[in-house]
This record gives sequence, structure tokens and C-alpha cells, in this order.
Amino acid sequence: MNIEQYITDIQQRFPEIISTEVINTKRLMVYIPKSILPKITDHWFNKLQYRYIVVSAMDSKDGYELIYHYSDDETGWVMSLNVMLAHDNPEVESMTPIVYGIEWIEREIMDILGIKFLNHPKPERFLLAESWPDGDYPYRRKIRKGDR
Amino acid sequence: MGKITIVPIGPYHPLLEEPEFFKLYCDGEIVVDMEWETGYNHRGIEKICESKTFEQVFYVVERICGICSTSHPFAYANAVESIGGVQIPVRAKLIRSIIGELERIHSHLLWVGLAGHFLGYNTLFMWAWKYREPVLDMFEIITGNRNSYAMFTIGGVRRDIDETKAAQLLKVLDDVKTKTDLLVGAVMDDPVIHARLKGVGTLTAEDIHDFGAVGPTARASGVDIDVRRDDPYAAYDMVKWKVITAKEGDIFAKAEVRLLELYESISIIQQCLQLIKKEGAGDIKTKVKEIPPGIGIGRAEAPRGEVFHFVKSDGSNSPVRHKILAPSYNCITTFRRSCIGGTISDAAIATAAVDPCYCCTERMVQVYDYKSGKRIMNAADLIKLSQQKTDELRTKILAKGQ
Repeated sequence: MNIEQYITDIQQRFPEIISTEVINTKRLMVYIPKSILPKITDHWFNKLQYRYIVVSAMDSKDGYELIYHYSDDETGWVMSLNVMLAHDNPEVESMTPIVYGIEWIEREIMDILGIKFLNHPKPERFLLAESWPDGDYPYRRKIRKGDR
Repeated sequence: MGKITIVPIGPYHPLLEEPEFFKLYCDGEIVVDMEWETGYNHRGIEKICESKTFEQVFYVVERICGICSTSHPFAYANAVESIGGVQIPVRAKLIRSIIGELERIHSHLLWVGLAGHFLGYNTLFMWAWKYREPVLDMFEIITGNRNSYAMFTIGGVRRDIDETKAAQLLKVLDDVKTKTDLLVGAVMDDPVIHARLKGVGTLTAEDIHDFGAVGPTARASGVDIDVRRDDPYAAYDMVKWKVITAKEGDIFAKAEVRLLELYESISIIQQCLQLIKKEGAGDIKTKVKEIPPGIGIGRAEAPRGEVFHFVKSDGSNSPVRHKILAPSYNCITTFRRSCIGGTISDAAIATAAVDPCYCCTERMVQVYDYKSGKRIMNAADLIKLSQQKTDELRTKILAKGQ
């Protein structure tokens, strides 16, 4: 299956997908709403046996961006799921019950960006010390949309 | 269940990008549960990178790890160059691969030595580290440094390998190959090492998939992945080599994979040097004016597994976000599967099997009684325990042989 066919396939399977973008050679980004994240993660990780790599998180103008990276080792493609979370209520379902290895990175993102992962088995601090003040997230930006 | 004792390992762990802390819960000799913590000495490198220019970031990521000091710039270069669509000269590709493979050789030799030390084979430790020295000297000849080579730049490499250096390198490689034969013989034919490492700390292919483990840790469990082949970069698609795998998933398999990978690395460098000679003199760098807005994902196969760099550019001269994944993160979490159910005397080598550095943790490891809080043993005792087990096995095996 080439990438065009693959994109059509995944869009048919998950009609909720917002958009897809081939960002570079062998790099696909799939923009999704957070509601279908568990479904699509399960499809990629368990059915297609993609290898979980890591989650990149950043504070963008439009919200907190979570990018779940998976690797399709047969073709060498890096497949990424991009979920945008609102600035005022950043919470998303934890993927740890599906992908065990995701546990630590979700805790890290919790520390640095203050994103809440629902149903996380161990929602404790990972990088930051216990004495770090609550509500202070080092990777959050001060500049927001509409600011000059 | 009897009295549960907690065995803390750490928190200082000098080789990984952050020191970490392992808590082993033991029932008698058996490890029943395990936790790991990190962040004790977090350097905030991802955040620092956001305040540096694209060029400066090379020297920051190079310092993530003293052993993998080429793998991080490698993955970062792949990421940034993919944003700009930069094509690098063939000569630069070849030199990049040579440096990457030299690093793999010295890192694997270092691991063999350390594993030997944990098992009570201090001669193996001395040998392996002695054979690693000429490789580091070679780095000094090529790059000017034994470590943190500063070879990479956007669009190519910073220093050339001329014919004199190439000849020296070939000589060192021949030497390393002979020495590797010796090491392979010492490890593969020793019945005590077999008894000590086979069936210990076993990880199945499912475990690897669950945790996303990479590198020799994954390949030793029969998971045939290697970014160099699956998503080729630099000169890895220009030379012939094979990915080494083993089926068993135990520590012996991990040692086997690493030792045999030494031969592949030597062969890759030899072929690259031939290609450099064939290509003749040429550019080692293309000029890159600016990095356009966009997202770049770069991967490189470090000695410990895949290094992953995610770089977002907004068209300015520094990255907006730089996410780094070092292979150890996903490998370390597998300890929950490899150590639980095993004995404490195997925990030291099982945790060392994925190749985090343990050389300085000694004074930090202490065993406390869970209830009274009294110190029972320290790291030196733990290593002693591991070495004692080897001694006992050796005596038994020798007695059987006579």
C-alpha cells in the first residue's frame, strides 16, 4: 500500500480525522480530535503493530499540541497523531492502558505543561521535584493568540 | 510473602541524560516489584535549545551523552535538514557514517567491559577498555577530541578525513577486528558466562513492543528493527551490511548482538573509506542560508538504539520546540519485565544489559531494611553478590568438568 492509499484507508476507517499531511519524506502527520485518540491508537499499536516512539508536547498559539509518534518499521515511515487541546481545559484520555511505554512521558508532559491525563495509573510527578510549586509549568508560554 | 526489602539503586546515574533511581522491592532474594524515578539532575536541554540558534544546538545536544555524542547531533541534523530539504554532499554522508560507526565500536566495547566487571570478569573489563583506547585516539586524530567531536553542522561535516588519516583508521580497524575475535571467543566459549547469562533477564518480543524498546535490547529479542536500514540516512544505503538479531531475549543474546555488531561497524567503515577514495576530493558541506518554517523529525541509530529528534521551526533562527528522545528511556522501563521474578544478584547485570552506565553508581546504591530503615548493604556489596554468584557457578562447572 502506498501512502496515498494508506491515507484514503485511514480516512475511511476514521471519518472524524481532521486532516492529514505528509510533512517530509517518510513522515505523516494525522490531525485528529481527542475523542478518537484511543480508537486510532489501538488500531495503530495493536492491529498494525506500529512501534511507539514518544510523545512531543508543545504550547502553540491555538492550544497545547500533543504529537504521538509511532514508527512503521516495515516501511520506515514515522506516523504521528496530532491532538490539539484547549488552553483553558487541557485534558485528554491517558493512553497508558493501551501502550504501556507511554506512562513516563505522560507524567513528564503533566509536569512541564500541566496537561491532565484522565485515568492515568500513576499520576505522580516525574521530572519535577516534589517541592516544585503547584500550577507552575516550565514549558508553558506567556504569549497567547491575539497578543501583540 | 515474607518481609519485603527495598533496594534502591541510584539516584546518580552519570551516563544517561538524567540520573535516575531504581527501587527494587525484594522478598528474600527475589525481586517482586520495581519502580524507577528520574529528574534528579534535569538539565532542561530541550528548553535550552529553544534559546540557541540552529547551529548552536549541535553543541548542546552533543553534550546530552558523553558516549552517544554523535548520535544526537546525527538525529538533529537529519531533522533540521529535512525541514530545509538540504541535500548534503556524498563525502559528508560517508564521513558522518564513519563517525557514527566508530562511536558504536567504542560504546559496545565499553559495555562489554562493564558487563564483565559486573560478572566478576575484571580481566575482560581491562581488555575491552584497553582495546577501546585506540578507537578514542582515532577520534582525536580525526576530530581533535576523544569525546564530543563537534563534527556535525547543518549541510555536512566540519572536518575532512584525508588519506593519511584514512590509512591510520584502517590500521586501527584491523587491530580492533583481531581484538574483537578475542573478546567473542572469551565470551561465547565460556561455560560460566553461559550459565550466568542465559535465561536471565529475558524479554520477549511482546515486552519490547509494549515498552517501545529499541536497539540491541530489541534486536536480542528477535525484533528486527534498525533505523539505519528501515529509514536510511547518511551513507547507510550505500554500503552492504546486515542487522544482527538473536531470538532468546536474555542477557547473553544482548551480549552476542553487541559483539557481532562490532564486525558490521568495522565493515561499514571500511566500505565507507573505500567509497571516499573512489569519490575523490570534494565538498564536505553545502551552504545553508536559512531554515524555513516547518516540522522536522530526525532519527539515528545510536549504539543503544534509536535516537529521535522532533524540531519545529517558525522561520526564525532557532527552534520553537525541540523534543529529544534518547533510547535509554524506552529501554529502562523494560526493567519491570526483566528484573521482576529474578534474584537480586541478577538485578545488577539485568539492569546493565540495556547499557546504562553504572561505573559511578557504586557509592550510591544501598540496601535498606524496609521496616527498620537500617542499612543492610551498598552497591559494592551488590556487585560483590553478583561476582560471588559467578564464582560459585565457576567452581561448580569446573568440578563437573573434572
